[in-house]
Amino acid sequence: MRKIALTMVLLIASLMAFASGAAEDDGSVITIWHSNSGRIGAAFETLVDRFNDTIGKDNGIRIEAIYQGAANDVLTKVKAAAAQDQSSLPDIAQMDATAALDMKNADYLVTAEETGADISSILPSAIEALNSDRGLLAVPFNCSSLLLYYNKTVFEEAGVEPPRTLDEFASIAEAISQKDDNGKIVRYAFAGVPTTYELGAFIGAQKGLSYMVDARNGHFGIPSKVLFEEEGTFRNFLEHWKSFYDTGYVANLTSGISDEFAAGRTATMLASSSNLSTVIATVAGRFEVGTAFVPAVDEEATGGVNIGGGALFSFSDSEGVRLVLEFLTSPESQLYWAENTGYMAINTLLYDTDEYKRFLDDNPQFAVAMEQTLSSNPEVVGIWLPSAYQIYYSFQSEIREVTENGKDIDKADSDMAGIIGRAIDEYRTQNGL
Amino acid sequence: MNRLIRILLTLMLALIVLFPLIYGFSASFFSPIDFTDSYAHMLPSDPSFRNYGLALSHRHFLRYVMNSTITSALTAALRIMVTLPAAFALTHFTFRGRKALFIMLLSTLFIPSDAILYENYATIASLRLLDTYAAIILPSVFSASAILMLYGALSSLDKDVYDAARIDGAGCLRYLISILAPLSQPYLVAIAIQTYISSFNSYLWPLLVTNRDSMRTVQVGLTMLGFAEQGERGAQFASIMVITIPFLIVLAFGRKVIMKSLSRGRDII
Amino acid sequence: MKGKSIQPYMLLLPAILLASAFSIMPFMRSLVLSFLRITPRGTIIGPAGFDNFISLFRDAAFRDSIMHTIIFIALFLPLNTFLTLLAAILTRRKRRYGAAFEYIFFTPLAVSMAAYAMIFSEMFRGRVSIINRIFGTEIIWLDSPMTAMATLVMLSVFLDFGLDYMLLLSSFRSIDRSMIEAAEIDGAGGLRMLFSIELPQIRPMLLVTVFMAAKDAVLISAPVMVLTEGGPFRSTETIMYYYYLEAFRSANVQAGRAISVMMVAISVLLMALAGRRRHE
Repeated sequence: MRKIALTMVLLIASLMAFASGAAEDDGSVITIWHSNSGRIGAAFETLVDRFNDTIGKDNGIRIEAIYQGAANDVLTKVKAAAAQDQSSLPDIAQMDATAALDMKNADYLVTAEETGADISSILPSAIEALNSDRGLLAVPFNCSSLLLYYNKTVFEEAGVEPPRTLDEFASIAEAISQKDDNGKIVRYAFAGVPTTYELGAFIGAQKGLSYMVDARNGHFGIPSKVLFEEEGTFRNFLEHWKSFYDTGYVANLTSGISDEFAAGRTATMLASSSNLSTVIATVAGRFEVGTAFVPAVDEEATGGVNIGGGALFSFSDSEGVRLVLEFLTSPESQLYWAENTGYMAINTLLYDTDEYKRFLDDNPQFAVAMEQTLSSNPEVVGIWLPSAYQIYYSFQSEIREVTENGKDIDKADSDMAGIIGRAIDEYRTQNGL
Repeated sequence: MNRLIRILLTLMLALIVLFPLIYGFSASFFSPIDFTDSYAHMLPSDPSFRNYGLALSHRHFLRYVMNSTITSALTAALRIMVTLPAAFALTHFTFRGRKALFIMLLSTLFIPSDAILYENYATIASLRLLDTYAAIILPSVFSASAILMLYGALSSLDKDVYDAARIDGAGCLRYLISILAPLSQPYLVAIAIQTYISSFNSYLWPLLVTNRDSMRTVQVGLTMLGFAEQGERGAQFASIMVITIPFLIVLAFGRKVIMKSLSRGRDII
Repeated sequence: MKGKSIQPYMLLLPAILLASAFSIMPFMRSLVLSFLRITPRGTIIGPAGFDNFISLFRDAAFRDSIMHTIIFIALFLPLNTFLTLLAAILTRRKRRYGAAFEYIFFTPLAVSMAAYAMIFSEMFRGRVSIINRIFGTEIIWLDSPMTAMATLVMLSVFLDFGLDYMLLLSSFRSIDRSMIEAAEIDGAGGLRMLFSIELPQIRPMLLVTVFMAAKDAVLISAPVMVLTEGGPFRSTETIMYYYYLEAFRSANVQAGRAISVMMVAISVLLMALAGRRRHE
C-alpha cells in the first residue's frame, strides 16, 4: 500500500510537470486564435504552414494557430482572457464585426496602424468596413459579402433569371418551387429569416446609402439614436419581404439552411460568400450551384452590400505580428485563400495578375462576390452595436412575427427600434455618457 | 397478460434508450451523401471504415482523448489523496474547531460549481494557470460528498485498532496508508469511479480554461473537430464512437462494481 | 484521539485549502461584490444595494431565461422520473435476460454529454431527420421554440437516465426480501406488491433522485450550449446559459455575480427540502 501511494505521488508529479501547454513567450511564437474550420480551416492551416516554412523560418518566428470555435466564441475567449490575465491573450485574433465595438474600446487592442503593417494595397471597401474614430481596428483578412445562392438547374428548367429585387423574387417564387402530388411544398423558393447581416445590405442599400443608427452605423463615435425608424428603411424592407413571404413559398428557417439548399429542398438562400466552397462540396454535383447579387429591396436600393467576414485584431505590436499580418494579406496568400474558400481576395495588387483573372474566369461563382462588392457603395458598412447577440435574434423574431403571425409592420418597426434604442442607451450609461 | 405487457414495455423502453446510440453508431459508417439525401438514412448506403480513419488521423483528436484520460485519472487520484486524510482527521481525532471545520467543508455542498464559474476562472487566470492540467483539475479535486461518504465509512470503524496500532508505534501516516486505506477500499473505489466519470464528462469548465489544442479535453474537442463543416459528418460520429465504445465495454464487464460504487454515498446528500 | 498535536490540522489542510479557494471564497467574493458598484474595468465605485439584481431583472432576456428554466424543469422532472422509475420497476427482479436489459438501461452512463448532444442534433436536424422519418412528421425540431425545448428535454432525460435508473434499481434490490416474501404468502399480486410494499420502501431514494435531478435541471447550461446555443430566438436560453453569456461573452460580470448568489440560494433551498424530506 505504501508503495502504491508513493508511486501515485510520483506519477501525479510527473504528469503535472508536462501538463502545461503554454509556450514560452519570447516573441518567437505568434499565437493566432481563429474561427476557421472544415475546408476553410484546412486552407488556413496551409497558409500557416507556408509562413512557418518560409518567412517564419528566416526570421526565427512561428505561427501557432488555434481554432476557438465560431467567431463569437473567439470574442468570448478574448474578453475572458483580457478581463483576467492579459498575458493569456493571443497575439492576433480573427474575429468579425460583432467584435468591433468591444475592440474599439479595448485598451489592449493594437490597431492596424499601430502594428506598422503595410495596408496600402488592401481593397478600400474592406478598409472602410473596419474603420473607426480610433483608426483601422484590424487588418482585413477573410472578407466576404452576402450572396444569393441559387439552384441553377432549377432556375434553368423554370426559365428564370436570378431576381434583382424582392418584388421580382416574389414573382418567380412559384416557378422555382415545387409541390408534390398532395400539394405539399417539397422545394421552397427561399429558406431563411434575415437578420443583422442580411439587413446590413437590405437596409444599407436603400436610397443609395442608409444607416441603421447614427455615427455611421456606430463606426465613428458611440451611436445615440436609431435611424431606420424615421427613415422608414426597415419598414420598407418588411413590406416587400412580407409580400414575398405571402407567396407561400418562403420557409422561415433559422438553422440548417445550407443543408436544405444542398439537398434541393430550397431553390435559393442568402449566405456569406465564404460558404461557397463548402456549399459546392456538399451539393456534390447533384445540381449546379449559381451565385448572384443580393436582391435589392426596391429599385431605389442601389447601395449594394457591405463587406462582412472577419479581420485580424492584434494584441501585440511585435515585429513578428507585422510580418504575419503582411504575409496573410499578401497577394499570394489572398489568392490561395480565395481559391479555396470563397472569401474575396482583398489585395488589389492581385487584380491585374493573369493568375487571378484566370481563377475568376474558371470559377464564375467566385467572381460574383467581388463584382458585387466593387459595384457597391463602399460607405455601406455593417452595424456596430452593443448587445449584438440580442439584436440578432430580435430581428429574426420580429420578421417572423410579421410574416407568420401577421404582426403589424409599424409595430414591429417601432419595437425593433425600441430594442436597439434601449441597447444604445444602456451602453451609453455604462460608459458614463 | 401482465407478463406480456411487462415484456413489451421493457422492449420498447430498451429500444428508446438504445436508439441514439444505435443511430450514432450507424451514422459513423455513413458516407457524406447519406446525410444530405432526400430522405433520412437509418443505415449507411455504402458502409466503410473511412470515417474512423478520418477521426483517428485528425490532427488533435487523440491528444484530446489523452488529455481527458489523464486529467480524469488525476482528479480521481487527487480527490482520494485529499479526502481520505481529511476524513481520517475528522473521525479519529478530537481537536479544537473540529466541528466548525467539518461544517465549513460540508457547506460547499450548497455551492454548485457552475454558479461560481466566473470567480473560479478569475482565480485560475490570476494564478497564471490557464492552459494547464492543473487548471482543469484543481477546482474539482475537493468534494464534500466524498468527505461525507468517507466520514460515514470511517466512523463505523473500530477506534481500538487505531489505538493498538499507535501503541505498536505505527505513525499516523503509516496507519492511514497501510490500514485505513485497505479497510475503506470499496469506498475509495466508489469515489474514484464517480470522480472519473464526472470529470471525463465535464464540458464547460475545461472549455473556459483551455485555449490551446494541446490542452483541450475530448468533450470540448468533440465539438471542435470541424468534420461537420467539412461535410464529413460521418467522421464526427466515428469520433464519438471511438470515445464511447471503450466505456460501453467497461460498463459491460464492471456493471456490478460500478452500480455498487455509484449508489454508495449518493443517498447521503 | 486526544492531543495538542497539529496532526489533524495538517491532514485537513489540503481539503480546507481547496474548499476555500475554489468554493467558499469564490462564493463570498460573488456575494460581497454583487452588492457593490463596479466599473467594467474592475474599479469599485461604492455600494450598490440591490441595484445589480434590479438591473438584472430589468433585462427581458433574463426574465425569459427564468421562464425557460421553469418550463424546462416542468417538462424534464416528470418525464425523467417516470421513465427511470418505469425502467427500474420493469427490471427490478432478477430474471432471464434481465442482465441484458439492465445493461441497456445503463448504457447512457457510458455516453458523454457532448456525444449525446451531437447525436441528438443530427437525429433532429432539419426537415429530413431520422426522427421525422420514423414518426412521419415534418417538424423542424430545432427551429421553433417549443420543439427545440422538447428536444432539449429529451436530451436531458438521456443524460440523467443511467445514473437515476441505477440508483432506483439498487434501492429496489435492497428492499428486505422477507417483506416481499411475507406479502407473497398473503397472496399479493405483482402490481399490488409494487404499490403497497415496494414503492413506499424506495420512496426516500426516489425523493433524493428527484431533488438531485431538480438541482441539475435548475443549473442546466452545457447541453444548451452544444445542442441549441440558446436558440431559436433565445428560446432555450436557461438561467445558467444566460449567466455564461453575461459573465464571459458580454463581460457583464456584475450581472453574473448576482446570478451566482441567487443560484446558490436556490440550491440551498432545494437541498434543505431534500434533507427534510429524507428525515420525515
